[in-house]
Amino acid sequence: MRRIGVFVCHCGINIAQTVDVEALTEYAGHLNGVVVAKHYKYMCSDVGATLIKDTIKEFKLNGVVIAACSPRMHEHTFRRVASDGGVNPYQVEISNIREQCSWAHTDKAKATEKAKSLVRSAVAKAHSLEPLKTSTLKVIPEALVIGGGIAGIQSALDLANDGFKVHLVEREPSIGGHMAQLDKTFPTLDCSSCILTPKMMEVANHDNIELLSYAEVASIEGSIGNYTVKIRKKPRYVDVEKCTGCGDCASNCRLKDRITSEFNQGMGKRGAAYMPFPQAVPLKYVIDDKKCLFLTKGKCGDEPLCKKACAQGAINFDQKEELVERKVGAIVVATGYDLLDPTAVYEYGYDNSPDVITTLEMERLISSSGPTKGEILRPSNQQKPKSITFILCVGSRDETQCTWCCRIGCMTALKQVYLLKEKLGEDIEINVCYNDLRSFGKGYEEFYRKVRGLHTNMFRGRPSEVRPMNDGLKIDIYDTTTSKLFEIKTDLVILVPAMMPRIDATEFARLLHLTLSGDGFFLEAHPKLRPVDTFVNGIFIAGCCQGPKDIQDTVSQASAAASRAATILSLDELEIDPLIAMVDEEACTGCGICVEVCPYEARTINERKRIAEVNEALCAGCGGCIAACPSNASIHKNFTKKQLLDMVDDIM
Amino acid sequence: MKKKYALFPGCLMPTEQYAYEVSLRATLPIVGVELVDLEGFSCCGEPMKSVNQFLTLYLSARNLAIAEKHHLDVYAPCAMCHLALTECRNVLEKNTAMKERINTLLSSEGLTYTGTQRVVHTVDLLYDDIGIEKIKEHVKKPLKGVKIAAHYGCHILRPSEIGRPDDSENPQKIETILKALGAEPILYPQRLDCCGAPLLANLPDSALTKTGQKLQAIQEVGIQALVDVCPWCHKMFDGRQIKAGEIVAAKLEVPVFYLTQLLGLAFGLSAEKLGLDLNLSPVEKLKLGEET
Repeated sequence: MRRIGVFVCHCGINIAQTVDVEALTEYAGHLNGVVVAKHYKYMCSDVGATLIKDTIKEFKLNGVVIAACSPRMHEHTFRRVASDGGVNPYQVEISNIREQCSWAHTDKAKATEKAKSLVRSAVAKAHSLEPLKTSTLKVIPEALVIGGGIAGIQSALDLANDGFKVHLVEREPSIGGHMAQLDKTFPTLDCSSCILTPKMMEVANHDNIELLSYAEVASIEGSIGNYTVKIRKKPRYVDVEKCTGCGDCASNCRLKDRITSEFNQGMGKRGAAYMPFPQAVPLKYVIDDKKCLFLTKGKCGDEPLCKKACAQGAINFDQKEELVERKVGAIVVATGYDLLDPTAVYEYGYDNSPDVITTLEMERLISSSGPTKGEILRPSNQQKPKSITFILCVGSRDETQCTWCCRIGCMTALKQVYLLKEKLGEDIEINVCYNDLRSFGKGYEEFYRKVRGLHTNMFRGRPSEVRPMNDGLKIDIYDTTTSKLFEIKTDLVILVPAMMPRIDATEFARLLHLTLSGDGFFLEAHPKLRPVDTFVNGIFIAGCCQGPKDIQDTVSQASAAASRAATILSLDELEIDPLIAMVDEEACTGCGICVEVCPYEARTINERKRIAEVNEALCAGCGGCIAACPSNASIHKNFTKKQLLDMVDDIM
Repeated sequence: MKKKYALFPGCLMPTEQYAYEVSLRATLPIVGVELVDLEGFSCCGEPMKSVNQFLTLYLSARNLAIAEKHHLDVYAPCAMCHLALTECRNVLEKNTAMKERINTLLSSEGLTYTGTQRVVHTVDLLYDDIGIEKIKEHVKKPLKGVKIAAHYGCHILRPSEIGRPDDSENPQKIETILKALGAEPILYPQRLDCCGAPLLANLPDSALTKTGQKLQAIQEVGIQALVDVCPWCHKMFDGRQIKAGEIVAAKLEVPVFYLTQLLGLAFGLSAEKLGLDLNLSPVEKLKLGEET
């Protein structure tokens, strides 16, 4: 016979102002099997915990119902308290009367009635809750970091310095990400490559880091502490052991300077044998198999000139794609962002004029290693512009494109204004069309003030159109601070495009079972309290794959993610939650439907017994197999059919 | 199979812009459109919108209810009428109280508005309902090599959130139709500029400046003709071209056609059947149907 105690929390006034907690406690005390019911202002506090522990002992309870907030918040707390008091932690049932009752309603009488039903059903379930035991799993003390931009680099270095082996996967031929494309960084105007390159070198030389560049994650199996990852290594057609990075292959390539350079944002050229940028890590050449004459047509003159030129004999056209396997205990995802293609905002003329460019293209123009060696020239005529106009929020804060703020646009534009004034002289006319200038970070406002002093024309509003005319570009803008319509004639327009989730973010999320927020970025487990965790235990997120942010925030988040991963990796063993699936061997027909539906590959068929089994280390307790099983043989521990129906019966 | 529509003529077309009506009645049946004339249509209501929004809604709803009674989709060749009717559909879809109020008034005429019928304009009727392939089939005298500028007019493009016949920033349907007729549509920077008509009553000089500037820009780059799809726009570009020229101090001689007139010419119909003699701009300048 169960002896159940019910504990009702006021949550300050969060619950108490909408639910009559005293009436609820009084009611709960008379329910079948309930031997005691108490209420307290903050059940999760020390005093509340002591109250529960003491009551358990005094009344010899063997079942506990807590009517409080969502189990997401404090289930773990209350399980521990119950366990301290002597009740099996899995014989605690939480009744959510905050998120699902008091916060959702205003009518106190009706809300109290609803709370009574919720508690009644929780008590019904508490009657048949089984005591469960946690099991343990050995942790593999290695980490996988996906993405080699500044976020991935930072996470990998932190983890490697903590003493863990790190496998860093980057799909491009070099690590460095977007940051490698930037000239200087706001607000301190540090040279981007000067601060990034040392970190990239550290990655290349660190004993604990295995760099898998030009590679992609193909599949992930397993769960926290024990993931098996398959990584697809794309062929470089260059033997990285032999390549010295001399560049003879690139300078002899027949397609030299004939292929658009991705790194230079389409503003420069490269060959089929190329290195994306001079500071690339690894400092190894790569042959573009979509462009190389030998690889696409099977013939490159009499023989491929790169092969002839390479003194090391590093060129190898026989390389094939390779699938490698690594076992890791934790994963940091740092896959970054894409920029909105500005042709989506058609009226700004990105398609119609070569003199309409993006901020990232401007970074390459400003950069001394860029296509113009740092000279600012109009793409249409290679002349110096006399007037430059920035348009901010292109697709950002726009209900037809991206509703969110990109968080870097304002400061990027201000930084470029500063650099352009420096390069082209004070007299260059610069116009900035902005919506709101958001200079929110440390030192940002001061930087903004500095730029305002540089004779910059600031217009507050969204231009209606960028119109290509015979003698340049024309912009009409209604300035909302002066309520006047201005006509701007300018030579070069720089668009600040919105920051978007990676184009393949959805597909990638499916691979890792990650959740996406409404905007398409990866969703954190809690926006404030678990900002780098995901809903998949052991997988953490860092940088712009979680949402737009600047380099400062990205690096902080990357260190945070590394630290969260290290918390797991530093354990020898992990406790496994026993709330997982099990099989009723009598009922199971071995049909295999559960094997098909299980996203965690935790289900297998035992061919000898001809029934399905559960791999307890892999099962995440998602419930997919329970719903799919046609013979009711899949059972979710402590969410059995009987328990759930008892709850339904009592709530009706 | 014939596609049947109730022709909603509006006010401007039957009172002064006859060429539009003549040409659409001559050309659309060729591509399988049956136009039905219903009794009882009134003004669409749009001109009253700034003084009495309810009246505008009521008039639009009443007109739609008449078409609904005959189970016909509505073809509104006037961009402004098309906007009023579309806006009415949108408001009444969301505002059930307003719908009930209007239906109470309509009941005295034995009418009910439920919102089952579509509203189309010349552009989406030709492009979406008929289709480019079908148009191509009937082209007998392609407008080979003729450089034509399209003028969409604001009302068929905006506001985009209620659903308009084409994209508000980069419309392409008229150009695609022109290509099907063999012509060479030219994209020009002023393509989406207003014709000026909405300003005509209160600021006539400003209105004609807009009209003149656009025509001037077209003339300067050597475009041979302008095509439009709205009686208001046509009234400005065609009927007031000389006056607009005086305002912007330019001698304007741009032939201005309704899209349905060019359609008819490409289908091999005579100038007379298409009401070309009713155009006030120098349409004769364009040697149509002849090899250039």
